[in-house]
Amino acid sequence: MSILETLRVYRFHYFMMLPGLLLAGLFVFYPILAAIFYAMHEWSGFTAKKVFNGFDNFLILFQDPIFWNAFGRSIVFLIGTVPLQMTISLALAMILNMQLLKLSTVFRTMIFLPVVTPVAVIGIIWTFLLSPFNGPVNSLLLDIGLVSQPIDFLGSTNSVMPSVIGVYVWKWLGITMIYWLAALQTVPDDVYDAARLDNCKGYRLAFYVILPIIKPFLLAILLISSVAALNVFPLIMSMTNGGPFFSSEVMEIFIYRTAFATDDGSIPQLGYAAAAGVLFGAVLLGLTALKGHSTLRDRKTTPGSDA
Amino acid sequence: MSSIHVSRRSFLAGASAIAATTTFGSNVSHAKSLPTPLNNIPKGTKFRWVDSGDQKATFFKEFFERYGEARDIDIIYDPLPWNEIAKVVPLGVRNRTAHDVFVLPRNFSLADAVNQGWVQPFDDFIPNIGEWKKGFPAGAFLPGINEFEGKTYGLPFTSNKRYASHLLYNRTYMESAGYDPESRPLTHHEFRDAARKITEAGQGRYFGFIIGGSQLNRWADVVRNLGRIGGASAGGDGILDADIDLRTGEYVFDSDEYIAAIELLLSMQSDRSMFPGFINLNAPQARAYMPQGAAGMILQGPWNIPSWEGQNPEFDFGLSSAPVLQTGKQGKLTISQGGAKPNTLSLWSGSENGAVAGEIFHYLGTVDGQIEWANVVGAGDPPIIPEAVDKADLSPRSKRVLNLFNDQIRVGPNPLVRNGDLAKVVASYIAPDVNFARTVQGLVAGELSGIKEQMAKLKDRYDTALDTAFAKAKANGARVDRSELVFTNWNPNVDFGAADY
Repeated sequence: MSILETLRVYRFHYFMMLPGLLLAGLFVFYPILAAIFYAMHEWSGFTAKKVFNGFDNFLILFQDPIFWNAFGRSIVFLIGTVPLQMTISLALAMILNMQLLKLSTVFRTMIFLPVVTPVAVIGIIWTFLLSPFNGPVNSLLLDIGLVSQPIDFLGSTNSVMPSVIGVYVWKWLGITMIYWLAALQTVPDDVYDAARLDNCKGYRLAFYVILPIIKPFLLAILLISSVAALNVFPLIMSMTNGGPFFSSEVMEIFIYRTAFATDDGSIPQLGYAAAAGVLFGAVLLGLTALKGHSTLRDRKTTPGSDA
Repeated sequence: MSSIHVSRRSFLAGASAIAATTTFGSNVSHAKSLPTPLNNIPKGTKFRWVDSGDQKATFFKEFFERYGEARDIDIIYDPLPWNEIAKVVPLGVRNRTAHDVFVLPRNFSLADAVNQGWVQPFDDFIPNIGEWKKGFPAGAFLPGINEFEGKTYGLPFTSNKRYASHLLYNRTYMESAGYDPESRPLTHHEFRDAARKITEAGQGRYFGFIIGGSQLNRWADVVRNLGRIGGASAGGDGILDADIDLRTGEYVFDSDEYIAAIELLLSMQSDRSMFPGFINLNAPQARAYMPQGAAGMILQGPWNIPSWEGQNPEFDFGLSSAPVLQTGKQGKLTISQGGAKPNTLSLWSGSENGAVAGEIFHYLGTVDGQIEWANVVGAGDPPIIPEAVDKADLSPRSKRVLNLFNDQIRVGPNPLVRNGDLAKVVASYIAPDVNFARTVQGLVAGELSGIKEQMAKLKDRYDTALDTAFAKAKANGARVDRSELVFTNWNPNVDFGAADY
């Protein structure tokens, strides 16, 4: 069937897609195109005049150590959060999936609560919890004798990233757990019955029976979590503002600071920030494409799928 | 966004509440004056105003309510933080939806705003504006600063004569430490010792010194002012004069006085006399810990005085100069000519409500308006007309801090007055990523080491950034030269007047 023929036959379906396409155009495609346009200009945002400078902003970015450090920190954040988040949430999901556990609904709700709490609220509350001045975490550590001096979790360049990573994992654990729980629902009851008959339980049931079955979900959850871990602007802004001394400045904070929150009275660099945004967006797009590819591959390899 | 259009009943109730609040804030009651009707203003006019809020909001919220009621107009007042102003104002101008009156983003000069067509002159909206201007102190209106081609584009209604890092301290703690900073300023050594003693006495309940260390400008403010009080002669707080000795045109980051200031901060850090977690506090959080008794000393600005006196009347605090060098050598702080730049108000070029702006601007430039302003805002943002300071109901502490400013601050040269084209350098300037404030923060946080080495590198970075800005401005047709930052006849101990250029 030719494209024109397809359009004619499915015209009602395409017509129904128009509102969504319009919204996507306004809020997704237009900003992407605008960012690429601005990335090729030297522009402060204050003046009407934009000076076209081709790929200069990208070339300067490649030589900017602050940019690469921020990029590196985003990767560190990704590596620090995703495996931890996936492992803990998988363990919790397996425990809470046990039908014999009577309070599983209560625990699920409790673990999920931070997910629905606004990020900025979480950030501010954890700032108080981790405070070295009367913060409950430090009080506990002092009381049990683990430390002799309060730890400045968010004020030390060594501890700030692990602290923010910890809060992030805690905050988003619930959503990953829900993904895993959904995956576990696909394990047929017969499998559990068979395992029980064979006296297979505990870690053997988990590693040799359940995990192989839910393995196809692993890549999808990994990629969803990875993309999420690169979008941490509100948490870091509310907890550290990227500091101290750049030590928690991830890519999004770098872009924001360059575009809007310049220090020292210097002019904003919207073009330069847009170039950084385009590069960072390309990385995210790459991850998303990888996810699409993995989903497609799974469909092809899953028995009974259309492919 | 707050619309200030109210019914008569709610106005009366609100006015009573606000009057009570205001009275509570300044401990005095005042007769409220209103602008004299000067222009023909249609009823129901919608008028919008944006500034950076803080103490200003206390005044304007109440004032706009009364004025809007009297003139039967709807005034929308948006007090916003600076990072929001940097987005809202340029976007509004570009989209033709800007506020009628706004303050400019901190990194944008009025000269550029005029060149870009953001603002319009307000001379036509203030009858006999020449006479009105005579009520201001000399140097308030200057060509290249707020006047361009004989027209007035900026209203300088608050004084620049203040600094943001004088000492505020808990009197009880300080007396226990054995010091009296009001009798004479503490030296660096005494400041450190007082911080240590207060911390020891606090036994974990309170600490010697606090700073809002996540707010980067605090680091630059404190070191710059300690350095200048120590005798490092540097200009005002603009891009073309901050941290530059305007007698030589060279940056002073590596001066002994700046280095001594950083050493003082590091020594208190190593003594553990600084408030735990200071590096992650912003300035308002740090300020709020003082009346709670959690810290003994802070180097901050005069805006704390009316706030603490109003909200924490039981808090017994004193104020004094920032600490001075051991040698006793004392220099003056330098400010640029004109009013306080962050408060300078402008009228949007697309505004059709110049008549309203003119009446309000006129009022803010009269002695009555200035007294009203001072009664509410106090020493935080002092009025620009000296007579208003004398006549206003200011607390003893507010008067004391204004006297301190008179003693310690002098007007320095402003390169923009010499050559208006230098505004193009300001518009081209991009500060180094690892700038002054971040370098100090990095040293205190332990991420950087070697003060002298770091400050020498910092100087090189700033030289490169400034030279690049000059080169860009020249390439764009500006007739500028870095030698125009040199004022060989400048004596930092005396005011630099119009005749000295």
